[in-house]
Amino acid sequence: MHHLVVDEWSRRPGWLQQRDPRAKLVVLLTYLVCVSTMRELTPPALVALTVPLAAGLVLGKLPVSGVAARAMLVLPFAGPVALAAWLGGRPAQGLSLLVRAFLSAAAVLVVAGATPMPLLLRGLEGLGAPSFLVLVVQFLHRYLFVLSEQAQHMRLAALSRGAGHGRARRRRALWRAAGGALAVLFARSHARAAAIHRAMLARGYRSAIPSLAHMKMGVPDWWLAAAGVILIAGLRTVLALGS
Amino acid sequence: MHIPDGLLSPGIWVGTWAASAAAVGLAARRAQRELDESRVPLLGVMGAFVFAAQMVNFPLGFGSSGHLVGSVLLAVTLGPAPAIVVMTAILLVQALVFQDGGVLALGANVFNMAVAGLLAGYLPWALAGGARLRSIALVVGGFVSVMVSGGLAVAELALSGVAIPPLLAWSAAGLFALNGLLEGLLTLAVVRALAVVQPGAVRTAATAGRTMVALGGAALVLATGLVAIASEAPDVFDSLAERTGIADRARALILTPLAEYRLAWAPDSWWGQAAAGLSGLIVMYAVGVALARIFAKRRSA
Repeated sequence: MHHLVVDEWSRRPGWLQQRDPRAKLVVLLTYLVCVSTMRELTPPALVALTVPLAAGLVLGKLPVSGVAARAMLVLPFAGPVALAAWLGGRPAQGLSLLVRAFLSAAAVLVVAGATPMPLLLRGLEGLGAPSFLVLVVQFLHRYLFVLSEQAQHMRLAALSRGAGHGRARRRRALWRAAGGALAVLFARSHARAAAIHRAMLARGYRSAIPSLAHMKMGVPDWWLAAAGVILIAGLRTVLALGS
Repeated sequence: MHIPDGLLSPGIWVGTWAASAAAVGLAARRAQRELDESRVPLLGVMGAFVFAAQMVNFPLGFGSSGHLVGSVLLAVTLGPAPAIVVMTAILLVQALVFQDGGVLALGANVFNMAVAGLLAGYLPWALAGGARLRSIALVVGGFVSVMVSGGLAVAELALSGVAIPPLLAWSAAGLFALNGLLEGLLTLAVVRALAVVQPGAVRTAATAGRTMVALGGAALVLATGLVAIASEAPDVFDSLAERTGIADRARALILTPLAEYRLAWAPDSWWGQAAAGLSGLIVMYAVGVALARIFAKRRSA
């Protein structure tokens, strides 16, 4: 599964994986802004924009084909927009939109592939994201796969009892059954949340999830942030002057 | 519709980020006030529930099926402020873990789906009184939430300079309408089942709040919808100025992007006027809340 593969990448012994998440997020945002503000994507610009990505792949020991394949998942969503531009008489704009979407998705994958999700969330909190929101995301991420697995089991159980096969007059019954399944999942999620809170209180929970990792920007982290921002901003300036 | 990165112009993603940050910040503060600490894990688990719920398929016939999106369901079970926080958390996880929606575009996606779409979908429920009306409100709310989210996404792409032919725009509207109807019916199916499995899970809007919601909804419709049929003729003062020949002497001392109640970069379009109207509403609401707080503090002091 996609998230398991990306999670495995984040545990590789690469230089990028060791860096502070805040530095990586700042460089990511700089790159995304650079791609977003490019008016024209000429071949030299395209080559220039792949350099930071390539550096990230090397420093994070990330697989090129894996990152490229997963970045292409964005194309079915960007495709209709590109098609709209093409049908509107601007094929170049359509192609540019597709390339920008792909480059942006690849950049996010490089950072997500080099940073475990809990650290990424702490990085976001360090950059000013509301603590309450980050806390909710932490719980959501923790129980996302537990509840998804439960929903899968319920779906398989329903299929094994013949759900999904029937004529139009049975469709109403199938809707009621699916609605009932969701309601049961909702009730179980509700009850689980109460049990989670009680268990956390029993382990000393005090309104924040403690972490063993201590975030402190070291010299390599400052180098990454400064070099990344300066090089990408410089690249953007050179491309702007050249166009 | 999750907008990926690279499609929106800087003006649009900066603007939507600012609007979303303000809205989510307010919603988070309100949610923290409304909920006690024991309910914080509930918000995360409910977000995980929505993810899991999207795996349960409802048969549509012709070999196809659909799934719940869940924003209206979250709003009627948790309340609108906590639901905004949960939907924002979902969109954040989708962007970072599953690359479904961009990071720069997150502001726009949050505004479309977690703020505007969610509140628009909650509005019918907040106004509905009896049980029968609530069933209709759920279907209408689900429909409206998808139409508002989808419409905003298309408008943002158009304002970003993406050429969208009218036929494609109408096709998209048709698809959104179909998905919206599905969302409404699915939400109704789940809420009805919840009434049996977990009575009390679904909240009812307070009566005192209904008047405010109705007024707010009316203002929104007037500012964004009815401008399409508003008269283009000048008002009394402008007409008098033209007839007496002094209209040419008028000079704007400051230039703003919303001059003449239109967006500077889309002056002749309906959405330019609607966006200007909506911006004005938001500014007036913010000024009103700020003034009310100042007066309340002075009174209590």
